[in-house]
Amino acid sequence: MDFSIRAANLEDCKDIARMIMELAEYEKVSEHVKVTQKDLEQDGFSKNPFFHGIVAEVPEAQRTKDGHVKIGYALYFLSYSSWKGRCVYMEDLYVMPEFRGKGIGKALMSKVAQLGMAAGCTQLNFTVLDWNKASLDFYAAQGCQRRDGRAGLPRHALRGGRSWSVWPSPERRLARYPW
Amino acid sequence: MDFKIRAAKQEDCKEISRMIIELAVFEKMQDQVKISTQELERDGFCSNPLFECQVAEVSEEQKSSQGYTVVGYVLYYYTYSTWMGLTVFMEDLYVMPEYRGKGIGKGLMSKVAQVGKEKQCTRLQLAVLDWNTRSLDFYIMKGARDMTASEGWHALRFDGEALDKLAAEAPKD
Repeated sequence: MDFSIRAANLEDCKDIARMIMELAEYEKVSEHVKVTQKDLEQDGFSKNPFFHGIVAEVPEAQRTKDGHVKIGYALYFLSYSSWKGRCVYMEDLYVMPEFRGKGIGKALMSKVAQLGMAAGCTQLNFTVLDWNKASLDFYAAQGCQRRDGRAGLPRHALRGGRSWSVWPSPERRLARYPW
Repeated sequence: MDFKIRAAKQEDCKEISRMIIELAVFEKMQDQVKISTQELERDGFCSNPLFECQVAEVSEEQKSSQGYTVVGYVLYYYTYSTWMGLTVFMEDLYVMPEYRGKGIGKGLMSKVAQVGKEKQCTRLQLAVLDWNTRSLDFYIMKGARDMTASEGWHALRFDGEALDKLAAEAPKD
């Protein structure tokens, strides 16, 4: 299957918002998504963006039955380790179900790695739910390490937000299918 | 004990570097620290900084046995959730041992929460090692939720050769 990977632009926010919601609706947690297309445009494409995106696109001849040619995305940002310096964090990696198993997810992830390294990053970090075995196996096969539990440092991810007014309760965040 | 919490300046990077090493020693990982004072200065104090930092300072009369008045720091940066928007991530929180138990750590963390709220962040996130039960208990007591225990999130990382290999497989532009 032919596909191309490129940096997201402002006009892609509509499709990125669609794909964020597709996944959330499938998981029946769409009510937890507060970010809008306008938020993505403002937060990702201002002078100092809070994130960067890349999209996967197929030719018109391979568009979906709804007419979409933008069929996957990765969303990432630079973070910082006080030990190692610049890092890249991959927040989302998603490919529409009918386009999976064709190397698109891997290509998106590799592009994030390449862009991160070009920016001076020495780590690519992300999180996966423990029951998402297919994803965990895939990432392990690519050579990444778990930084918790069995391999690497045991760490617990904490989140504090009880006092903040927009905190949904109780939030149930489910896995992102990667590809 | 009187102390002041203030935004770090470029000149504080030497003290922050010192305390990063002290924290790494506490976490039993001092051989993992590769960053230099110069990198902190470059990455934290440029026109588009990759992190922000607050330091805790005591008066000269209360300086440490080695003469330090900067006795704690918190290093944080902004991340993005595609569900909730802007988030603040607290990368490091550290107070020198002889200054603990006096509200300095809590003061530093609260400052990060305040700064985050001013920027419309809806979350403050951090990571803690599972053997550090004292810290885990402290954060949980303050209202944090353990996302690993409650939802099963696990942290993964590509670095070294694995990162090189992955990047080499990226499609050509």
